[in-house]
Amino acid sequence: MTTMTASPHFVASPGLWTLAWRRMRRDHVGMVSLLIVAAFILMMIASGSGFLARDWSKEVGANYAPPTFVGADASGQSVIIPATEAGEGDVVESNVSDPIASELAELRPKPKGAVAGAGPSEGAVVDPLADIMAEIKGKGGTEAVKEQRAATLPFGADKWGRDVLQKVIKGSETSIFVGLAAALVATLLGTVFGAFSGYYGKWVDDFFNWFYSVFTSIPYLLLILAIAAVLQQKGLTTIILILGLTGWTGIYRLIRAEYLKHKSREYVQAADAIGASGNRRMFVHILPNVSHVILVQMSLHVVQFIKAEVILSFLGFGVPVDVVSWGSMLNEAQNELILGKWWQLVVAGTAMAVLVTAFSMLTDSLRDALDPKLK
Amino acid sequence: MIRHTLVLLGLSLLGLGGLAPEVRAAADLKKVLRVEFPVAETGFDPVLVHDLYSSTVVEAIFDPLLTYDYLASPAKLAPRAAEALPELENQGKSYTFKVRKGIHFYPDPAFKGQRRELTAEDFAYSIKRHKDPKNRSVWKFLLDGKIVGLDEAEAAAVKSGKFDYDSPIAGLKVLDRYTLRVELKVTDYNLGYILAMPSLGAVAREVIEAYPNDTNSHPVGTGPYYLKRWIRSAKIFLEANPEYRSFNWDFKGSEDTWDKRVIAEMKGKKMPRIGQVEINIIEEEQSAWLAFQNAELDILYLRSQFSPVAIPEGKVNEQLAAKGVLLNRITDPEITYHYFNMRDPVVGGYSKEKVALRRAILMAYDNAEEIRIIRKNQAVEAHFPVPPGVVGHQPRYRAGNAYNVELANALLDRFGYRKGDDGFRTLPDGRPLVIRYASQPDSTTRLFDELWKKSFDAIGIRMEVQKEKFAELLKLEKQCRLMMRGAAWIADYPDGDDFVMLLYGKNVGQSNNPCFELPEFDEIYERSAKMPPSPERDRLYVDLGRLAENYGVWKLNNTRYRNMLVYPRVKGYKKHPILLADWMYLDLE
Repeated sequence: MTTMTASPHFVASPGLWTLAWRRMRRDHVGMVSLLIVAAFILMMIASGSGFLARDWSKEVGANYAPPTFVGADASGQSVIIPATEAGEGDVVESNVSDPIASELAELRPKPKGAVAGAGPSEGAVVDPLADIMAEIKGKGGTEAVKEQRAATLPFGADKWGRDVLQKVIKGSETSIFVGLAAALVATLLGTVFGAFSGYYGKWVDDFFNWFYSVFTSIPYLLLILAIAAVLQQKGLTTIILILGLTGWTGIYRLIRAEYLKHKSREYVQAADAIGASGNRRMFVHILPNVSHVILVQMSLHVVQFIKAEVILSFLGFGVPVDVVSWGSMLNEAQNELILGKWWQLVVAGTAMAVLVTAFSMLTDSLRDALDPKLK
Repeated sequence: MIRHTLVLLGLSLLGLGGLAPEVRAAADLKKVLRVEFPVAETGFDPVLVHDLYSSTVVEAIFDPLLTYDYLASPAKLAPRAAEALPELENQGKSYTFKVRKGIHFYPDPAFKGQRRELTAEDFAYSIKRHKDPKNRSVWKFLLDGKIVGLDEAEAAAVKSGKFDYDSPIAGLKVLDRYTLRVELKVTDYNLGYILAMPSLGAVAREVIEAYPNDTNSHPVGTGPYYLKRWIRSAKIFLEANPEYRSFNWDFKGSEDTWDKRVIAEMKGKKMPRIGQVEINIIEEEQSAWLAFQNAELDILYLRSQFSPVAIPEGKVNEQLAAKGVLLNRITDPEITYHYFNMRDPVVGGYSKEKVALRRAILMAYDNAEEIRIIRKNQAVEAHFPVPPGVVGHQPRYRAGNAYNVELANALLDRFGYRKGDDGFRTLPDGRPLVIRYASQPDSTTRLFDELWKKSFDAIGIRMEVQKEKFAELLKLEKQCRLMMRGAAWIADYPDGDDFVMLLYGKNVGQSNNPCFELPEFDEIYERSAKMPPSPERDRLYVDLGRLAENYGVWKLNNTRYRNMLVYPRVKGYKKHPILLADWMYLDLE
């Protein structure tokens, strides 16, 4: 975002960015927001590179383990209704063929004192797994695994017993990455289209305006669903593309207006006089002078796209099954609320609210800092 | 099939004109039962409708030949318009039905002021209507290839463009005014169940011909109720049919307390008691739930979303208990299962290594967790292909391929599915192994995606989710083009045959979703299909169940509960697994 490293003491006449940074420093809300956003981005990087929440999918707690301060759920376990009332070994026998009976018999740990030979040729033991099941039930295999799980976790667990905090961290990776990447795509498209449209005018402008009108005439959600249908697959790239391809329109209008304004200014005419090409005038001379608009727009869109990812995931167009995002967490939470398990909603919702609020306020401060005339 | 206990007292108390007061004496028009449908009805012509809810109303308006005993479990056939259950003749190839005398249709202008008695000819006509190409009956498959001469009549109708209802059909002989003899091409012990379906209720030819394009809104039958008023997709008002014969409530249930209470409440009462049934179409689950809480509905089918609130730990919550609300829980006559496509190049096939792969995957899936988390405890684990309450169910049978991750991993190791550096297994020949799990884009199926993902991770197999729309999934499924999917099957009729046929080789492309073709299985199935329900047939079913497990075709998951909430003013209520319209057996306080 801000790349300010220059020390202001040496510079005789401070540049645009230095001045902006100075104004920004004086804005305490903006600075706090910047710190929060930076912390989230650090968290995202740490999670992406495997320092944090690598084992998010591991089931560390009981199913729906509540947050520690709430205390363990006593009733939760008693809800389990025994699936069947019949005892073990209560099998009905059959003599039909079993293609892998001998291999299974081989793999099966031999019960103590058992008579050897339980292959299919014997016909005596026709369920090759009966002994194994008895064996496992004997040592209490499945129960033992469940006992290792914590009854409570600091922030609670989801339905499979995964730590909600770890999920939120892992989910931030997806959500923030999607927000940033989609905002980048949208800004890039909007800027390039806007630059050409505003700078060249005439039929180029007409063409892009027509393109813009087509995009904005379709209701937003419908457009998202249409593009989702065209892309035909789910995944992060798809979400980024959907959001990026639908989100450029607002930026386009703004940048076009900026270029219309700037192209007749003296410095551009001067560049023209020394023989700078169209592209050079557009991207080397004008672009830096409208970059503050772009930056503010991009931050605004990051916020918008983080929320859009949540909505997409909520609608079921979101992330694939092995990926977690805040949107998918909120989606799960709607079922859990009916059961009275509120913690996943609270933790994911809080994380999202904090980031989005901080980002919005940062954007606000950025705009104030970059364009003081607007104030 | 055993003789049942339903005693229909054919009390012809009818006076002339069909409005004699004594007939109505049983049904009290002030007694209004209010129920809900979650989906709008489509109409009331037995042949044209095929959704559950329209069929429910159809069952109340029209009389099929047979029906089910109200309390018997597993479900048992009983006569309705017939005098008795048919005798099996000619090894299940001929059935003779005697239609009860003195049953009359509800008055309609089409009868020109005459009382119209129900005859055997009406049933022959009603059966023929299903084969009339003009009607495009979805129930036609139940009759295809069965009744002598009927398929030929259909073929002739396709050719000429008009079904000839007047020409006699060899397999549908009307011996006299009240006797219908059905002749079959092949042995079929399930014809009785088919004739108990609402879609085979008797219609009068005059009425059908009087309203040629609008039979759906002119239901005229002989059943206990008639359609009084109909506000499409909003409300259906039924009123007791004044022409309906009365009968004594006399059913024998099991020893459980619910049955005993029902019998104590109802025994000896003259039925039907309820004069009006008001059906509200409430599509939103939440609205229905609120309406029930406000006592605007007498009976509610509680779907899974609100079950944790309404019936925590399997009992009604405190507020409902204070109002005396009762929970009637039955298991649906269904199984849910996950299957592999046996024709798929990756998971299909009958070689040992493929069988081992499939069985290992099935062993990695925990049915108990599905019931606890996804089904919210509103289901029981399924072990046997034939679910509880269906003839042929084996309560002692325990399914193979039980949840056992250790054994699953050992099995994969043994057959050379080695783990690579990334922790995922490859095929024995070193090619990558990816399982494509077919699923739908909604939040409930995502739970299954997650549970399967967990299961596959536990045995180191890479899984992808293939998201398709429901209709598309069904299409691909029937073409044997999916790799793996979860499905459910609910009984068309309460006989095990309806379930074991799911893996019969000749049903590929229809109901055999795994596209499983094993000569050994088919041979046993064909033998079982020729047998009436018996311990010998049960033994064959056990063999079929084991074969499916041994080849790792499917994993049976569970059988869901149907939770019905009932206010105490409704008397005699017990949810029947097959019977739809049970209002004629109830009373209101």
